[in-house]
Amino acid sequence: MTQLLLFNVTNGLIIGAFYVLMALGLSLIINLSGVINFAHGGFLVIGGYLAYALTPALGFWGALLVAPLLTAVIGLVVERLLIRRLYGRDPLYSLLLTFGLAFMIEDGTRFIWGAQGLPVTVPDFLNQPLSASLFFITGYRLFMVAVVAVAVAALFLLLRYTRVGIRIRAGTLDLETVSTLGVNVGRLRSLNFAAGIFLAGLSGVLAGGQLGLDPTMGAGLLMPSFIAIIVGGVGSLPGTLVGGLLIGVAAGVTAVFFPSASDAVMYVLMAVVLLLRPRGLMGEEGLMT
Amino acid sequence: MTDALTAAGLHTFYGKSHILHGVSLNVAEGMITTLLGRNGAGKTTTLRSLVGLTPAREGRIVTFGQDTTRWPPFRIAALGVGYVPEGRRIFPNLTVEENLKVPNGRAGDWSIERIYALFPRLAERKSNRGRQLSGGEQEMLAIARALLLNPRLLILDEPSQGLAPRVVQEVFAIVARMRAEGISVLLVEQNVRQSLAVADHAFVLDDGMVVWSGPAVELAADETRVRTLTGATAEDWEGAAPRVLPAG
Ligand SMILES: Nc1ncnc2c1ncn2[C@@H]1O[C@H](COP(=O)(O)OP(=O)(O)O)[C@@H](O)[C@H]1O
Ligand SMILES: [Mg+2]
Repeated sequence: MTQLLLFNVTNGLIIGAFYVLMALGLSLIINLSGVINFAHGGFLVIGGYLAYALTPALGFWGALLVAPLLTAVIGLVVERLLIRRLYGRDPLYSLLLTFGLAFMIEDGTRFIWGAQGLPVTVPDFLNQPLSASLFFITGYRLFMVAVVAVAVAALFLLLRYTRVGIRIRAGTLDLETVSTLGVNVGRLRSLNFAAGIFLAGLSGVLAGGQLGLDPTMGAGLLMPSFIAIIVGGVGSLPGTLVGGLLIGVAAGVTAVFFPSASDAVMYVLMAVVLLLRPRGLMGEEGLMT
Repeated sequence: MTDALTAAGLHTFYGKSHILHGVSLNVAEGMITTLLGRNGAGKTTTLRSLVGLTPAREGRIVTFGQDTTRWPPFRIAALGVGYVPEGRRIFPNLTVEENLKVPNGRAGDWSIERIYALFPRLAERKSNRGRQLSGGEQEMLAIARALLLNPRLLILDEPSQGLAPRVVQEVFAIVARMRAEGISVLLVEQNVRQSLAVADHAFVLDDGMVVWSGPAVELAADETRVRTLTGATAEDWEGAAPRVLPAG
């Protein structure tokens, strides 16, 4: 029983780490540009498949870095061509456009790589379990959590200590004033969008190594990521971090006692949080933004 | 004498509402120019047109010899135009020091160290968040932020609004000091007498039109008009004088 609980809590944390990575990217984009990116899961898929395509040439480690970077570059192009037109418009437009984009990416992936699942090959030593009693914790699972932790820490440090990061945080509350202070806010938004897409691409590589790839894999992570943002409080990146881990663990723990309710529990959690704190756990009081 | 900025025949709209009806004004280089007028006269809208936030639909703005009428705000700022907005608009979620790291200015003498020397209070509060500052400190921060652009022209929108009298004195002292530094100033104020005391030139705006312009001393000497400006209701203004007077 204890082991089952531990297994599911670990599972929940790992899933939560994915939610966090996805949700932080979504949050960055929502906060600065007001665009709700329903294509975020699509960029995850692109990251995963790029890693699959690059691994033969670059190996897993090369792909782990290059695939998210390439995904970010694709994101940059999409931002310049399409997303940019949404700024300052009714959110309905961003819903329509990014929703359509999500379908295009899914079908495009299917067209190029086929509908059947594909693996991202992970170095052998990462696939060993830690020990006989902790057989369910493979090195790869720890590795995923570590990569997510490093990525999240890097993001928070960049936002806190670099001028670009400080400008992004300033812009989430008052982009107009940022523009009068000599900052090219168009470029700031592009960069910020690319950073969010980088995180989606990274999620894709990591997820591919654990679960394999298929063109629809991004869609399942999208809704929980939105819930993580709402639970944590829209506008607060630390809130998003807490929200993602919370719903991941809640789903994991519920899986022990009421397996059939493990998907529903995040909605229940969201409802409870919103009843008690309509702005989410850290809404408005966020430390970073 | 050359102008830091010249605006001619500005027509500015918010959506369909026509706010500025052909505003023309100039800021002489190295001088303080004040723009006065009752609430809702269009002062803020004029400044927003000048800095590129609400571009004029008609008319022409020349800033330091360049036609900046359609330029985005960041390019106008990069020319050396510092803007201190109405209500200060400091970033409440950032610390004082972080607020000072947002500006992306041209090269020049102003640095965060120099700002702290000029505003010791900001140095003391550098780790506090913007939202924790008093009104006076927020105003200093908003001015400091604009100075870090190394401006040749500083545009201030009601910097003394809502401040205690002692702090108002400080704000006006800073404005005078900027002029001594060789920075041209365009000052919008409700504080009519004090603005006229510090300014070289004055423009009076009403209903989106310039209704008076001339030397600040001349307007200051016209007690009826000054009282009308400070009394600030539309009827007063209309009763006090013909609507359009020749420039002085
Ligand atoms: N964002 C806006 N949308 C529509 N009308 C506005 C907006 N801002 C100001 N106005 C209107 O424009 C007029 C001029 O406003 P403003 O320039 O702020 O005047 P002032 O700064 O002289 O008090 C006012 O009638 C005001 O109601
Ligand atoms: Mg105003």
